[in-house]
Amino acid sequence: MQKLNHIDDKELLNRFYSDHNNDWLGELLPRYTLLLFGVCMKYLKNEEDAKDSVQQIFLKAINELHKYKVDYFKSWIYMIAKNHCLMKLRDKGKYSLEITERMSATVDSTEDKNVLIEKDNTLNEMQAALKQLNHEQAQCITLFYLQKRSYTEVAEKTGLSMMQVKSNIQNGKRNLKLLLEKKINHGQ
Amino acid sequence: MDNKLLNIISNSNKDIDNQKLMDYLSGKLSAEEKYEIEKQMADSDFVNDAVEGLEDVKNKKDLSLFVEQLNTTLQKQLDKKKKRKKKRALKDQPWLYFAIILLLLLSIISYIVIKKSLENEKHIPSNLPRIEQK
Repeated sequence: MQKLNHIDDKELLNRFYSDHNNDWLGELLPRYTLLLFGVCMKYLKNEEDAKDSVQQIFLKAINELHKYKVDYFKSWIYMIAKNHCLMKLRDKGKYSLEITERMSATVDSTEDKNVLIEKDNTLNEMQAALKQLNHEQAQCITLFYLQKRSYTEVAEKTGLSMMQVKSNIQNGKRNLKLLLEKKINHGQ
Repeated sequence: MDNKLLNIISNSNKDIDNQKLMDYLSGKLSAEEKYEIEKQMADSDFVNDAVEGLEDVKNKKDLSLFVEQLNTTLQKQLDKKKKRKKKRALKDQPWLYFAIILLLLLSIISYIVIKKSLENEKHIPSNLPRIEQK
């Protein structure tokens, strides 16, 4: 099956939906074994539990894919994995949040980002928005995205922990997007 | 600088390379490659969660073994489902053929029966006048 390496997820899924041949899933699912194992490890913190969970996630995915059409495989399988782990934690009593299993995966919001990029004034707006972020977020975003520093380097430069750096980058990015959307919607 | 600024909101659609990810975890990547992985982490919660979880694995060398085991089990599962499907298809087929033949036979028989009964009806009226002549 080496020759299938160049086929992207979407095409593999389309081929699977046209002939329901499991060989296509045999190519698609292993692409995510490592990532899924990582996600399970993050939530369950136990290697054996994580391995069992990946198997169960695969089984669930195979059954669901035979029944429903999935458009964005990556986001969909991530959601299945996350929900599976949260359910498992809830059964163990470690997690009390109510989990609702939603089968419609959210898109990686790539599309609306492209729309944002198409706007002429985006760049100027970006610079203005960057100034509106709090100091730590702006600092982390600038070092990471503009100066292409690694997480470790950003942490060293700012004196923050790795976790703080990560969350500053993620939250900063989210805030930037919100600020930008607000401005664009306002301008329309 | 300008393009870099836009990079913040544009997601890299590149799919993650598993080997690169393993190398990232064992610290074998160059600064540039390391940054690529971290950029993907910042872009995707999935990749970020996965890397954080994988960093918790004590012996990184076990990872390839785990992945291999999981993939073998997955392949077996997929093959089992496929065989079951094939078996069912084989079993279903004789019935299908039997049903088709039965339907064909039925239609031929009914054709003959109807034809015969029509012929009989034709014969009766031609006989009747002869009786009247007597």
